Amino acid sequence: MEIFDITQSDSFFKLRVVESLRLVIDPELEINIIDLGLVYNVDVNEESKVITISMTLSSPACPMGGTIVGSVENCLTHHYPEYKTSVDLVWEPVWSFDRISKEGKRLLGM
Amino acid sequence: MKSVNRQHPLLFRLVIAHYLLAAVCFVAIAIMLQFVSEDLNGHYFQPKLLAITHTAALGWGSLMIFGACYQLLPVVLETELYSYKIAWLSFGLFCTGLVLFVCAFWNFDPGLCMQAGSILLLAGILLFAWNTFITSSRTEKHSIYQDFITTACIWLLATAILGTLMVFNFRFPFLPKDHLLFLKLHAHMGIGGWFLLLIIGVSSKLIPMFLVSTKQNTACLSWSYYLINAALVSFLVDTYLYGVNMKTYIVAVAAIAGVICWLIFIAQCVKSRMRKAFDMPVMHTFLSFFLLTLSLVALPFIVFYQIKGDGLSVKSTNIYGTLVFMGWISAIILGQTFKTLPFIVWIKRYQHLAGKETTPLPADLFSKRLLSVQFYIFLVFNAGFYAGLFFHSDILLKLSLLWFLLTAVIYLLNVLIVILHKSKTKVYGNF
Repeated sequence: MEIFDITQSDSFFKLRVVESLRLVIDPELEINIIDLGLVYNVDVNEESKVITISMTLSSPACPMGGTIVGSVENCLTHHYPEYKTSVDLVWEPVWSFDRISKEGKRLLGM
Repeated sequence: MKSVNRQHPLLFRLVIAHYLLAAVCFVAIAIMLQFVSEDLNGHYFQPKLLAITHTAALGWGSLMIFGACYQLLPVVLETELYSYKIAWLSFGLFCTGLVLFVCAFWNFDPGLCMQAGSILLLAGILLFAWNTFITSSRTEKHSIYQDFITTACIWLLATAILGTLMVFNFRFPFLPKDHLLFLKLHAHMGIGGWFLLLIIGVSSKLIPMFLVSTKQNTACLSWSYYLINAALVSFLVDTYLYGVNMKTYIVAVAAIAGVICWLIFIAQCVKSRMRKAFDMPVMHTFLSFFLLTLSLVALPFIVFYQIKGDGLSVKSTNIYGTLVFMGWISAIILGQTFKTLPFIVWIKRYQHLAGKETTPLPADLFSKRLLSVQFYIFLVFNAGFYAGLFFHSDILLKLSLLWFLLTAVIYLLNVLIVILHKSKTKVYGNF
């Protein structure tokens, strides 16, 4: 996930959004969705005031899928009430264990 | 954007009703056992033991599995449950039938009460199976898990039909062979066809999820599926025609090989897991696998003593039967309840708050200390109980059954802690 580009004025805001999303925890694995590598991209449209999150799930059948997507919406609506939230669930590239961050792996006890 | 699994609003009450009643049945079994400890070393075909066995198989094992299926079918089969109304109707018929059936067995009154009970149970099972078949037929993607679940339902239906025929056979004898022969067939359809296939199908999907396993060898599962089903069909046909004989060894070996294939699949999932620590529910699951393995070890002995016509066949059958119901099935339920039930309660209580407030996680909804105590008490029970059966010690049996009662009470208490959980949250600060 590459969201920081110093030449873009919204980069700092995007980083804040990413940090906010660390509050969204996968209820089974007990790890936040950023460290799990589920979030692929954060896009902010200042004109229409919409934050778009492109993310995936560990599998299309993930039992917690609805909960995780709902939590992302709850989180952003709560922290950025002036923005609308859109979650774009994507399946390409397919999520794999390689996407888990070092911190995520540490939390899994690896 | 593809839609994701969201909990159906009608699911909560349905699943809770099943789990709660199953937990109450578990305590009931533990209480009933206190009155029959001396009979446990006798023949298994006794009214009170049959009442307890059916409470265990139907009220404890099956009711819990029905509830878990309603919760997990949408996950395993990636589709919505076909009908909640049918599920409730099935629950009502099944529970009413169960009460009539168990009371009739306890007092051994094979009349109207037992017959009505068996018909109601069969109707409840028929509706459950119908609901599962239609749900399964709507799935877009075929999988081996689906085969396990739907085949298990077919075996359950077959078990219930034969069971109902046997109930009517008490009053109006029409079955062409000995009642005990049909009891053998009925029991193995239930144990191998319903419980074993269903548990393999569901656990093979869930355990890799819980352990975050990177490797899943589904070829092992296919072998397991065909071996167990082939063993069951061969056992039914051969035993019906010729009784237990030398060929039964081959059947037992095929069934054991099927279970080994599944255990290899599980071992690979454990080996390739990313989540290194094992929690208490998973520890219960491992214990259940160990107890299942012990029950399979008893199988060749049962065949050996039956062919020999030795009275030890009854003793080994008792050990096998109790290892299946009080060991393997109970251990897996005692653990997996706390992997599945907290999720459904958590979604109900916290889904709308997650992400904006600090919420407990599903694993915080039950008492971890109680679950650990339950695990060790259940271990002590197992050690004492099977030693008591093996060495024919009434004292050991009586003492261990008290530990079993304690396990059941602690389990029910922890289930109530989850179900009665009230929301506790803390609002996050702004970033």
